Amino acid sequence: MPNEWACKEDTMSIRDELNRLDEEMEKALGNLDSLTALEALRVMMLGKKGQLTAMMRMMGQLSAEERPQMGQLINERRERFTRMLDERQQAMQKKERELRLQMERLDVTEPKPLPEIGSVHPNTLVLNEVVDCFTGMGFEVVEGPEVELDHFNFELLNIPKNHPARDAQDTFYIDDNVVLRTHTSPVQARTMTTRKPPIRIICPGRVYRADEVDATHSPVFHQIEGLVIDEGVSMGDLKATLAAFARRLYGSDIHVRFRPSFFPFTEPSAEADLTCVSCRGKGCRICKGTGWIEVLGCGMVNPHVLEMCGIDPKRYSGFAFGIGLERITMLRYGIKDMRLMYEGDLRFLRQFREDVKEG
Amino acid sequence: MKVSMNLLKRYAPIPVSPAEYQERMIMTGTGVEGIDDLSEQLENVVVGRVLTCVPHENSDHLHVCTVDVGSGEPLQIVCGAPNVAAGQLVAVAMIGAKLPGGTIKKGKMRGVDSYGMLCSGPEMGVPVELYPSVGDEGILVFQEDHPLGTDVREIFGLNDHVIDFEILANRPDTLCVWGVARETAAAMGTELCLPEVQVKEDTTASIGDFAKVDVLDHDLCPRYAARVIRNVRIGPSPAWLRQALHAAGMRSINNIVDITNFVMLETGHPMHAFDLDKVAGRHIIVRRAEAGEILRTLDGKEHTLKGGELMICDENGPTGLAGIMGGEESEITEGTHTVLFETASFDRTSIRLTARSLGFRTESSGHFERGVSAQTVLDGLNRAAQLVNELDAGDVVSGIIDLYPNPVVNQPVVASVERINRLSGVELTGERMVEILKKLCFDAKVEGDTLTATAPKFRQDIEGEADLCEEVLRYAGYELIPTTPLKGAADGKRSTGMLQNDLMRKLLSGMGYYETMTFSFIAHKKLEQLGLPEEDDRMNALALRNPLGEDSAYMRTTLLCGVMTTAQLNQAHGNEHARIYELGKVFDNVHRTAENLPSEYNSLCLCAYGPGEDFYTLRGTVEVLLRQTGANYTILPVQETWLHPGRAAVIRADGEDIAVLGEIHPEVAEAYEMSGRVYIAEINLPKLFAAAKPMGYVAGLARFPAVSRDLALVVAETQPVGPMMDAMREAGGKLLEDISMFDIFRGPQVGLGRKSVAFSLRLRAEDHTLTDEEIVRVMNKVLKTVAEKFGAEIRA
Repeated sequence: MPNEWACKEDTMSIRDELNRLDEEMEKALGNLDSLTALEALRVMMLGKKGQLTAMMRMMGQLSAEERPQMGQLINERRERFTRMLDERQQAMQKKERELRLQMERLDVTEPKPLPEIGSVHPNTLVLNEVVDCFTGMGFEVVEGPEVELDHFNFELLNIPKNHPARDAQDTFYIDDNVVLRTHTSPVQARTMTTRKPPIRIICPGRVYRADEVDATHSPVFHQIEGLVIDEGVSMGDLKATLAAFARRLYGSDIHVRFRPSFFPFTEPSAEADLTCVSCRGKGCRICKGTGWIEVLGCGMVNPHVLEMCGIDPKRYSGFAFGIGLERITMLRYGIKDMRLMYEGDLRFLRQFREDVKEG
Repeated sequence: MKVSMNLLKRYAPIPVSPAEYQERMIMTGTGVEGIDDLSEQLENVVVGRVLTCVPHENSDHLHVCTVDVGSGEPLQIVCGAPNVAAGQLVAVAMIGAKLPGGTIKKGKMRGVDSYGMLCSGPEMGVPVELYPSVGDEGILVFQEDHPLGTDVREIFGLNDHVIDFEILANRPDTLCVWGVARETAAAMGTELCLPEVQVKEDTTASIGDFAKVDVLDHDLCPRYAARVIRNVRIGPSPAWLRQALHAAGMRSINNIVDITNFVMLETGHPMHAFDLDKVAGRHIIVRRAEAGEILRTLDGKEHTLKGGELMICDENGPTGLAGIMGGEESEITEGTHTVLFETASFDRTSIRLTARSLGFRTESSGHFERGVSAQTVLDGLNRAAQLVNELDAGDVVSGIIDLYPNPVVNQPVVASVERINRLSGVELTGERMVEILKKLCFDAKVEGDTLTATAPKFRQDIEGEADLCEEVLRYAGYELIPTTPLKGAADGKRSTGMLQNDLMRKLLSGMGYYETMTFSFIAHKKLEQLGLPEEDDRMNALALRNPLGEDSAYMRTTLLCGVMTTAQLNQAHGNEHARIYELGKVFDNVHRTAENLPSEYNSLCLCAYGPGEDFYTLRGTVEVLLRQTGANYTILPVQETWLHPGRAAVIRADGEDIAVLGEIHPEVAEAYEMSGRVYIAEINLPKLFAAAKPMGYVAGLARFPAVSRDLALVVAETQPVGPMMDAMREAGGKLLEDISMFDIFRGPQVGLGRKSVAFSLRLRAEDHTLTDEEIVRVMNKVLKTVAEKFGAEIRA
């Protein structure tokens, strides 16, 4: 049975060869130093021209009984080698990625330039808060001209010709009949002459007074005036409205106090003081120890003004108030010199940002 | 107005501390700016008698004195004053005494212990008005007797407070001690005790024999009253009078002049005293000045009158400016024998305009400008006569000249209790209202709902129900006003203009721009520096009649000048990079409104300089603003005097120029003192928002594939790319979804003076996959258009 022997002989040599391959594989895997080498090993063992494939070819020499047996052994190795190589590849890839991540470490605390976000002017920030507060109470924003007729700026507001408030030292004149508005009240006068009550408006805008510039004066500044006209409007309604404004702008511990005062277009008139926003009423330098700061003027619209604007004072009453925007802005942010607001120095402007406040 | 508290207390008791008093007055409507405690400046200085006085052994000018201050052992005090002598009654600053210059400590002078100091007037801060002999050299020596140990503040009237009242414009009646006394009594709930004015007349003489007055212009002088004092005895005023004047900031002159000033202080009626012998013809004529008339006033100044000012004249001509200042000629002097006192009511406007035009105000004109009641003129005049009696300064001739052709009487105001309560929000009974009004010297009564009240004769400000409401409320207490939230719903909203501005500001903040604000004024020079031609609308700025200065003489027609000035300031302050803007009204003086006012509109001006800024970064910002409004626009090169000729663009939409932008012309930059390249844009917001489109519905995502085609076109170097793209977009029609430019090539291959511009076109149909024919048709149309319009050739 030379043939049978030969077969046995071949079987033995394939087995030896497989064992040798196992050893070689173990050794090669142990020496691997790169994914490239791993790919080369995969080709050498499992590729079309690889050693296992070569062995499969040798199977032709085997007997029919031995062939499946050997085939199984070879396939077993193919699977095992593939698994070993894959596992090794994954391990190496993982290690390589870890190495790369290690290399890519950044100093997350290193300072870098930021994208620059701008900001609106502090006056605008505060104006927006004020407007939100009043629109929330049903006020509509109405605007009017800054170069204004004497008729609306003075006449209809109970400030007749030759009234001291009209003096050139206070008012900028264009000609005898045209002025730069000295308050935003003419917008109220215009509204009263063109609309029927109920009226509930605020009028923000620039106003002009012939003042020289210093830390607390400016020939150009901003006012926000409010006007409500309806049946049965009382001074209590005015106080509640201003109290809501004060709380919204400066916090819930801020209260309003009315003091008797005088304005030509309101009667009764009041100065509305707020709890000092700096010391919260305890008394400090800013409020001169009183715990109160003078913030705005207000009152019930003078019946004579209503009449001049064509509104029946027997049926309707109303209130008006005027807030100096710069004043409340300076109080809000602790700005000590009004000139900063009109210089536009970025070192000043960059400090402002919008606050998110609870309702 | 400054008032001595001691004087005020004579008329209305103040049973509370100064701080409480201030609070209560403020809360009832009388402003108090502050209360100064005069006694704080001087403490522990007492009257002492110099018992012995011997020269100091080691000095040629010091004396060693023993001084009795009425308490046990005499004190040893070293004194350097040359006038010190034994027997004198002096002011002794004890150890620990507080003087304006510091605190007194025990000292040793050239080896001799000194237990205090003998004071001079200046060392105690006591002015001559308070004690006449303080002006003398050396230490103050009391002329009259005082008990030893008396606190000197009592002698000088320094145990007092000075109250600084702030008088409201509608309450000129409170611009005097009696006025604030009335308010004080009402506020404190104390008794008002004004002096009863009684005049002891010299019945042997009648005023008609001494003087004659004619008022020719009663419209400017509703009432003129006069009294004559004969046998005038000019002399110094008593201490109480000097002290009262001093507290009010007035100087003591002599008894007659002091009486006029004191009556003004007390009653609010400015007075004038004439030396009647110096009044020509003893005849006073009140009339308007004629143009060119000349007057010398008490202060020695000569005034040339414009005509129309109200004058006090005698038969020789003008002697004084009515209500403002008397004349030099008839001034009261040591030698005055006969005096005419004038108390009058003058037209406030006339006084104000005259004082203004002549450029000076006096205490007197201040009173008249605010308004002096004609009804109380005689109260002032008689009070002066009474003081003449009291001070024995002369004999009051019997009779009064009182020219008052149209007497004013306060009319009763009829009001409704219920309406007053409804207006104030405070529930008060009619009886309570009457009680308050009576306290304020009103004549008041209530019947049912009807409140009838007549204001006292010194009040001129009570016209109607609302005035009564305020009177009642301020004494009932403003703190009673409840807080009652507004009733009824209303639609609160921002104006459209405000919403537009909000959008711009929000976008600009996101793009790193900071909002600035500058004044609305402009110097014409700044406009000229932009190089604008004379006929440019912006050069025709609205001029102010009374500007603060040349730099602020016009209303701005553009924001450029203000923003450039702000940029310059930032450069000067070392800010290397800036993105700033201003959004505000500009004033177009050429296109005027129906009311013939200038057209005001919102303009937006952006400015940037520094690293990373160039023409395109600025243009990008402007384009974002335009895109966010949905406006369709084109960008075109433009020539503007204030911009770099090769770096200036106009943005146009719907045929309107919406914005101009570019790099500031170096000449303009130089004129504005800016350095480096500065980029600026000005946007007309009404025009921008006129071109704005509402957002509308969004499109679905494309369902059919797009085709891309690249195109390199060779055109003249000077050909701007923008219009080419606009033309291609139009030619491409609906199928051309997008077009972008990705390269510009210049080189010999495309020829000198030419450039090759590479575009990428994306084509797509909404409802089907494009066919080759469609693509070719679109591309051919695009090519044909650019060839015809711009001479563009496909790059070989």
